[in-house]
Amino acid sequence: MARPFSTAELMACVVSRALRDGEVALTGAVNMIPVSGCRLAQLTHAPSLTFIHGGSGGVNSQLAPLTASSCDAESLRAEARLSLQEIVALACRGRVDVFFGGGIQIDQHGNCNMVCVGPWHAPRFRGPGSLGLPYTSQAGRTIIYTTAHTPRTFVPRVDFMSGVGYLDGGASRAQAGPPGGGPSLVVSNLAVLDFEPETRRLRVCSLHPGVEAAEVKRQTGFPLVMPDPIPSTPAPTPMELRLLRRLDPRGLLRRLA
Amino acid sequence: MKRPSRQSKVLPIAEAVRQFVRPGALVAVGGMHMHNNPMALIREVIRQRIPIGTLMTGGAGGLNADLLIGAGLVAEVLTCYVGFEYLGLAPRFRQGVEAGGLRVREVDEAFVLLALRAGAHGSPFMPYPAGMGVQEFARVNPRDYQRVTDPFTGEQVWAARAAVPDVALVHAQLVDPFGNAAFLGSLFADREMILAARHTVLQADAVVSPLAVRRAGGTGLPGFLFAAVVEAPYGCHPTSSHGRYLHDEAHLQAYLGLKGQEEFEAYLKVHVLDPEGPAAYARSVGGRRHLASLREAGRRRR
Repeated sequence: MARPFSTAELMACVVSRALRDGEVALTGAVNMIPVSGCRLAQLTHAPSLTFIHGGSGGVNSQLAPLTASSCDAESLRAEARLSLQEIVALACRGRVDVFFGGGIQIDQHGNCNMVCVGPWHAPRFRGPGSLGLPYTSQAGRTIIYTTAHTPRTFVPRVDFMSGVGYLDGGASRAQAGPPGGGPSLVVSNLAVLDFEPETRRLRVCSLHPGVEAAEVKRQTGFPLVMPDPIPSTPAPTPMELRLLRRLDPRGLLRRLA
Repeated sequence: MKRPSRQSKVLPIAEAVRQFVRPGALVAVGGMHMHNNPMALIREVIRQRIPIGTLMTGGAGGLNADLLIGAGLVAEVLTCYVGFEYLGLAPRFRQGVEAGGLRVREVDEAFVLLALRAGAHGSPFMPYPAGMGVQEFARVNPRDYQRVTDPFTGEQVWAARAAVPDVALVHAQLVDPFGNAAFLGSLFADREMILAARHTVLQADAVVSPLAVRRAGGTGLPGFLFAAVVEAPYGCHPTSSHGRYLHDEAHLQAYLGLKGQEEFEAYLKVHVLDPEGPAAYARSVGGRRHLASLREAGRRRR
């Protein structure tokens, strides 16, 4: 089925619409989707949004053109630069409203793992490592994104807790007392999901155009909260798509997913 | 009486590495992802087959760590990430851990900066803010994470143990003969690494006059912080040198495509062990014209 936009472009639009004017957002590694979402938000409804390239330290990068690596020198064509030390300080302090996370595993309560599959001492699969994922305990909220919506990614329980989500669900995070607000949204290549307020279980909000509920169920390793009916993720508007392609003339988002 | 002249820090690369990278040391390597990796120094460590007690990466390790691990020189790695970002996983790191031979001191990014800051200050540790979700790291790595009580409030917080690298290997774009360096792009965790380490060996794309360093702008660090300076044109290749040249994506992809130890050993022979000096290295990766095509100035012509 031919769509006039790519999945990653749609995901960037979802990210953009989830951001509010005046917020401070922090992106990490492999950040093509979140940074283009941030820039798109600035160019539409959130001109006073600030976004930080967590790798290079560029603040409000021009993204013309978008680059594949989060630490590319091009991202320093920006309004200001922060050092990594300063970014870590801001994130630890809780001065980041929106943090972008992800993982090789994401569980039903939004905990994220970038370290290992199987026991840490003898892993079946060794991931790259956690980078800044622990900032999920401090940030105002976390948007989780992944282009690999599969049962290997979406597991009942993470094998290593790189970034704390809602822990065991329910009130467990609130009782543990991390200052930040926890994951608010999961943007995947199949759907947009959030967390049911009572149980803090992953819940489908919308299915991307052309995706069936059965496919999302099949590609998730645990039962999802499924409203009925489930709306469709609104496609990029012509203006959103035009702006995205101006940011990304090389078509990185079209090749990504 | 003749006035003594100011001492140059410039050394041949083999001598700088032999003198300051001691067998079994805690070695910190600069750069982040596929940018500003001190690859010329790392290739020299491999040529001299210097065993590394603990390898520490900055904000995110990549080829800098994977190459040393693959060469069989690393006993232990203190890291929050070894990978190739958007290009994929680090094959030798992954294999080393999965096979069980490579020990990991599992840390997070904030740890790297806190531990180096503690090291730089001469403090034994640096506390995390309250509520920071690093309990899982403490479970698997109690050597580096412990609970401490805030003596002022009685509150319990996590502490990051100080990191004091025996030697840091770092790249700058420009340096003068006395070690005054200009960093034209991001410094990542390199600045903290330099301040925390007992010694730092600095490689630079070019050794230029003090005036040229001043005129280049960028972020400067003073020469007294560096034990030795090495001229290494295209010394970050195949990673980028911010402001000078881009990372060589095709070369990195070929590296990631190497199958098995045999192909990796062949890579080492062709690109690390055989080439004597920058010109020979340039020939091994496609020649000077290829390297020139990676220059930043060419980027906008896409």
